[in-house]
Amino acid sequence: MDQDQKKETAIGSLFAQWTKSQADLWEDMIRMQFGMSDASEKSRKNPLHQTQKAYESGSKILGALISTLSEPENLESALKGMDSLPEFMMHITQQAYEGYLEFQKKIVEIAAKIGQHTEAYKFEGIDQNIFKVWRDIYEKEFRQYLNVPQLGLNRFHQERIARLIDTLNIFQASLNEFIYMFYIPIEKSGAVMQEKIEQLAEKGEIHDNFKEYYNMWIKTLEGHYMTLLKSPEYAEVMNNTINALVQYREAKQEVLYDILKEFPIPTNKDMDELYNDLYILKKKVSDLSRKLEESRGV
Amino acid sequence: MSQTNIAVNLILKKLAETTGKAKIKVRKASEVLLSPLDTELSKTPYEVVYKEDRVGLKYYKPSEVKHKYPLLIVYALINRETMLDLQPGRSVVQTFLDSGLEVYMVDWGYPTRKDKYVTIDDHVNGYMDNIVDFIRKKHGLPQINLMGICMGGAFCVMYSALHPEKIKNLVTTVTPTNFDTDKGLLHVWMKYTDAFLMGESYGNMPGDLMNLGFLLLNPARLILDKYVGFFENMDDKDFVENFIRMEKWIFDSPDVPAATFHQFVTDCYRKNLLIQNKLELNGRRVDLKNITMPLLNFYGQYDHLVPPEACELLTKAVGSKDTEDICLKTGHIGIYVSSKCQREFGPKIIKWLKEREGEPKTDKSPETSRTPSGSKIRRETVKYVSPKKIIGKESKPASPDLKKAK
Repeated sequence: MDQDQKKETAIGSLFAQWTKSQADLWEDMIRMQFGMSDASEKSRKNPLHQTQKAYESGSKILGALISTLSEPENLESALKGMDSLPEFMMHITQQAYEGYLEFQKKIVEIAAKIGQHTEAYKFEGIDQNIFKVWRDIYEKEFRQYLNVPQLGLNRFHQERIARLIDTLNIFQASLNEFIYMFYIPIEKSGAVMQEKIEQLAEKGEIHDNFKEYYNMWIKTLEGHYMTLLKSPEYAEVMNNTINALVQYREAKQEVLYDILKEFPIPTNKDMDELYNDLYILKKKVSDLSRKLEESRGV
Repeated sequence: MSQTNIAVNLILKKLAETTGKAKIKVRKASEVLLSPLDTELSKTPYEVVYKEDRVGLKYYKPSEVKHKYPLLIVYALINRETMLDLQPGRSVVQTFLDSGLEVYMVDWGYPTRKDKYVTIDDHVNGYMDNIVDFIRKKHGLPQINLMGICMGGAFCVMYSALHPEKIKNLVTTVTPTNFDTDKGLLHVWMKYTDAFLMGESYGNMPGDLMNLGFLLLNPARLILDKYVGFFENMDDKDFVENFIRMEKWIFDSPDVPAATFHQFVTDCYRKNLLIQNKLELNGRRVDLKNITMPLLNFYGQYDHLVPPEACELLTKAVGSKDTEDICLKTGHIGIYVSSKCQREFGPKIIKWLKEREGEPKTDKSPETSRTPSGSKIRRETVKYVSPKKIIGKESKPASPDLKKAK
């Protein structure tokens, strides 16, 4: 038996003694609290006696559990189970941290490109990576935690709230991308204007009327927007934003319906059902009236 | 590095002058903005003669009736029919009344959540049919004249194909019937995005969201330059009144019933069923060959919402031999509100309708030519202006007829 094994045995024996003393302590505590009551038939119906019994039963289970733990092999297995908790936490933290690092790396890559030449009237391959990266990371790393199956009585409510958080995140990411895309023509026309002014200055043709520059800028900006708005990239981003908005609104309404159910007011869902019935009825009445008029020869 | 030659002293001098002028302008502008302004729309008197749910029928009576058949105008579900009676001197309705034409105009009202299930069929074979029957009965006539605007024009085309016996003459203005074109941004967006989902999500398609979409069609002009123009001219009372009137009209946007919006996007914009005679309303196929009454088709050469490509196929697709295309050198709204078109658009319709009442012609007919299909096409003889100039002109903030998507 080497030194390590001896040490482990000593710790195991110490733990077994401690658990036994814990079990004894709980038994004594129960006995002390209820020790004064008698054991007659009458007193057995007494609520105090029933409580004592429940405590005794509970303490016995607790004692049994503690005694079980005092067995070295059981203790080892329990400790192994406990080991998995920090491992699980580690896993989550690692994934989140890796995601964050990846995100930061992309930001640095994009930041490095700042100042590079921006080509006027070109919208193919716009660098929206930052939004795509965030979305990718969110979808791969974080979203899964919101999709963990919910349990128990409130599982449906929890699922709805998780979906609301998820759709809100996606909508915000899509909206940011959309807004960024809308900003690009402003950036590009600024660059074009800078070039134009430089050219005018070189020729000594600088205008003294600010309106001339404004007209030049607005025309350039309009041209950039026209190019952007026709591009398939823009249509795709717009479509993503629309879909994300629709899904977020749907999720939000589901949560709202849950809340509003507790109040004596009808929800849109209730009203829509009613409106649909009304619509069908009106249509039937209108058809029947028409048929009646036709049969009368009106 | 080359030495630049900038006359800084001149720039500073100009800046000082501009600042002085701006001070005077702001003082005058505050006087204008704080004074009572006449910005009321739709001033021509009318009577609501028919009402069904949210839909009303406006009746404009001329001082002397000179036409046998009254005219029913069907506006789009987007924005409001007040555009046809924007202000005295810029009113299509007033032009019609001055010629002695009785005018009925559909007011679609403001759809609420209750209307979300209302389809195109309910609009065309429901509300429109009831209104046409009401007018026919009131006047004791088997037929009436029908005129449609934009989406309302598409409804009129559908109606005329399904109820040709009730329509004497059909006038379509900026009416999309061929949706298979990528010329207009609206066509592109409707085709490649799921915009119709928003209608279902919000109950109906919100008017404000549609307005936002229309502003995004030309953000530089419609969100920015337009208001720069306003600030430049806000010391001019007439300009301010016209501008505010237009603003009131532009942003007065009722929601569009979700079911109608969905159907219009999918069946028309995406599948282009109407021009192919494949569209069905409540199981009834809309066959354009059934349109055998005379047809007058107006559209704008520089219309960025309903481009000529979306309008010009109609006359060739219908069954009528008496058709005419008129392409005006203007945009979507310019047809109705620009001063130049005011002089041409209304009078042309009056004359065209009069000619088809069987009465003698009163003046010389315009320069026309016949297309191979038999339809006449008339192009304006106005000097050609490049599209770029037109865009600039149409979006010129100083003009009250600022183009806005519809």
